[in-house]
Amino acid sequence: MADTDVEDGGEDHAAAATADRTTDGGVEPGEEPTRPLGLPQWVAALVPVVLLVAVLGLFLFASPLSGVQSGEPLPDVTVTHATMPSDDTVVLHVTNNGPESVTFSQVLVDEAYWEFRVEGAGGDRTLAPRQSARIVVPYHWTPGWDLHVDLLLADGTTVSHTIVAPQASPGMTATVLVTLALVGVFVGIIPVVLGMLWFPFIRSMSDRALHAMLLFAAGVLAFLAFDAAFEAFELADRIPGVYEGPLLVVLGVVGALLSVQAVSAWRERRVAAGDDRAAGGLWVAYLVALGIGLHNLAEGLAIGSSFALGRVSLGTFLVVGFMLHNVTEGPAVVAPVADGERPALRHFAALGLLAGAPVILGGWIGGVAFSPTLGALFLAVGVGAILQVDWELARLVRAADGRVASATNLLSFLVGFAVMYATGILVVV
Amino acid sequence: MPSINYARAAEVTDRLESRLVESIGVNRRTVLGGLGVAGSAAVGLGGSGATATSGHGEEDHGTFGAVDEYRDTDFDPHEFLSTFNTGRDGQDTVPQAVYDEDGRTVREFELVAVDTTITIAPGVEFSAWAYNGQVPGPTLRVEEGDLVRIEFTNAGEHAHTIHPHLKNTNPRMDGVPQTGPGVVSSGESFTYEWVAQPAGVHLYHCHSLPLKAHIHRGLYGTIVVDPDPERVAERPREYVNYHGPITDEFRARLVAEAESRNHQYPANDDVTELVVVMNGFDTDFDGENEVYAANTRAFAYGVGDTDGEGTWQPGETRRPIRIDRTDRQRVYLVNAVEFDPINSFHTHSQFFDYYDHGTTLLPTDATVDTVMQCQAQRGIVELDYADHDPGLYMFHAHQSEFVELGWMSFFEVV
Repeated sequence: MADTDVEDGGEDHAAAATADRTTDGGVEPGEEPTRPLGLPQWVAALVPVVLLVAVLGLFLFASPLSGVQSGEPLPDVTVTHATMPSDDTVVLHVTNNGPESVTFSQVLVDEAYWEFRVEGAGGDRTLAPRQSARIVVPYHWTPGWDLHVDLLLADGTTVSHTIVAPQASPGMTATVLVTLALVGVFVGIIPVVLGMLWFPFIRSMSDRALHAMLLFAAGVLAFLAFDAAFEAFELADRIPGVYEGPLLVVLGVVGALLSVQAVSAWRERRVAAGDDRAAGGLWVAYLVALGIGLHNLAEGLAIGSSFALGRVSLGTFLVVGFMLHNVTEGPAVVAPVADGERPALRHFAALGLLAGAPVILGGWIGGVAFSPTLGALFLAVGVGAILQVDWELARLVRAADGRVASATNLLSFLVGFAVMYATGILVVV
Repeated sequence: MPSINYARAAEVTDRLESRLVESIGVNRRTVLGGLGVAGSAAVGLGGSGATATSGHGEEDHGTFGAVDEYRDTDFDPHEFLSTFNTGRDGQDTVPQAVYDEDGRTVREFELVAVDTTITIAPGVEFSAWAYNGQVPGPTLRVEEGDLVRIEFTNAGEHAHTIHPHLKNTNPRMDGVPQTGPGVVSSGESFTYEWVAQPAGVHLYHCHSLPLKAHIHRGLYGTIVVDPDPERVAERPREYVNYHGPITDEFRARLVAEAESRNHQYPANDDVTELVVVMNGFDTDFDGENEVYAANTRAFAYGVGDTDGEGTWQPGETRRPIRIDRTDRQRVYLVNAVEFDPINSFHTHSQFFDYYDHGTTLLPTDATVDTVMQCQAQRGIVELDYADHDPGLYMFHAHQSEFVELGWMSFFEVV
């Protein structure tokens, strides 16, 4: 059934299509640029920097604007999350976002002054701008009963945080690490590898069906991109204001997109230069695996942090849901290599690990050091990588003389999207 | 009566503690335990060294209460309790005089409204408007029938007044924006004159609008009008809610009570008198108080430190009110709390007689352990701890919320 002619043609076309894109058309080196004012080039580059340092120095030492102030900046403190390491301890994780330092003078738990200590603020109860600390309150809380905590600052400002239905945070023990690894194997590696077992079937498909399959993969990825992006912006709400949560997410998306695109452009140049190893669908497969891996890392983070915050029951239903959800990621990984020579088996093993194993890593990171900032950033990076991979998949189809926007392909994309939506209902962490 | 100098004791404890911490590098809790053991060993109670380190850290439930001592010593709630300005003597910050005018005793006080910052819980400051820089304002003490002359100056940024809760027959002197001089603008002055009547414990406060802001920011104080025993002897019925025959014995009893209330009579010296103004502070402008207190400072009459297991230590600024069980105790209780409809006063292990508004010489409520007051309501609480063992006896508002937000106090009966 293999259509060797078409395969070869596809490869030639891919090479031809990319040949003229390998240069940015910039100035050829060798042309001596004119010297500005007769100065060496490096001096010209340094002049603005030196002047900037001089002006900054003037401001630091002479403070010409020290008298200029319009009122006082308001204190801005974020409670990112709370952990409950034991049944008589409540720990609030706080960050000072404001330009002035803040002092936690008193702490109210359910409208009662309570003992507390501040850890990680250098021994006192004052937080410098952008400093983070933990407020530890010895309080015998009741599981499931909300706690309202008010932090009373020196000027009487209150910073409120509600701990909804508190549960013990198990903390990180070897047992928990092993459990999270096991969860990772079940929800990450096994479904992806199972999905990859469709490879022989995909290989036997006609060109048209294969392109549809690639678009199905693109649909799967597009769903994941939306899913992760919404979650990233949701988490961004809880990021301390000083880190500009939403912009951090945008930076993660754009940064990952451009980074992966740069790798891809580099690969094309190698192909043009005659490097055979860089050619072919294997690269795309690796990119897909990377994008999915980043997404699964974020998935692992969510599982790990929920586990750490005492918020997850990893019941059979949830694990089954995750398996169904992630099994569709397998064919997405292997579809790009269906066309052409079968890569060595070690590549399959590597692809499966790259796509699935990050769940374990994410679980550990989320469990040990959960922070909304880290979580949102990982999610955003995943979105960026996935967007680039979708772009890459479309080009793969086009390079094989296929029409991306054919009726079959569009419907396949939709099916990929819809299947992910349907199985997504099964997994809510 | 054992004489312990709290400030010195706290200092010694601190020094011992820090020396121990420095020398052996253990934490404070362990040290406190260690000091306890050392102390009990010193007085021959024995005790194993192991208890010093095992402690109760594993099952520490934490205790409620404010953290830290008060650093700002501008206002001492302990001193405030029994500081009265009579015209003859009082606080240096309240210029005052007493003299006769047309056969009547005049007691003159200078009150100045200022904008200031007060401390309401350890480390927590509040931007207050205050008479003579303190919240509650200075306690004035006069005798029934006196003329009270207040030279009022407004040195604050907003317009203020002084409105007396007295039987005032001249509307010009009512201290409301709508009559007399109205509000006294920033930088201006006005002299209020009131006849001190009826006898009792009364309130004065600013009546500028918005009223909620002007009261809750701290413009209120107590004015105690002592009953005149001679007038009581002449017109006893005005001082009791009683319609039976007035016997000589009954009359003598009322006069004796009036003499005990009147600061100019020796009988008054046998009574420990305490002014307790119940107030609250909304620090974050949400219309709810973050701090409730007896006399402004949360937990100022609480204990300095306790392990929640029956032992306690007085702090330098947070310590119980010491009372002598051989004396009678009289509390002039005033409710100035804003935003909450009522406040209350409850004594542990004790029942008291309550004289609502203090305008009667027989209790309006006898043998109660809880009374409730709306804003501006006040009364006299008469306590007797003669038959109680020495030790700590709690008193507080019986709204649990207020208790845990600062209105929790102790008498240390000695």
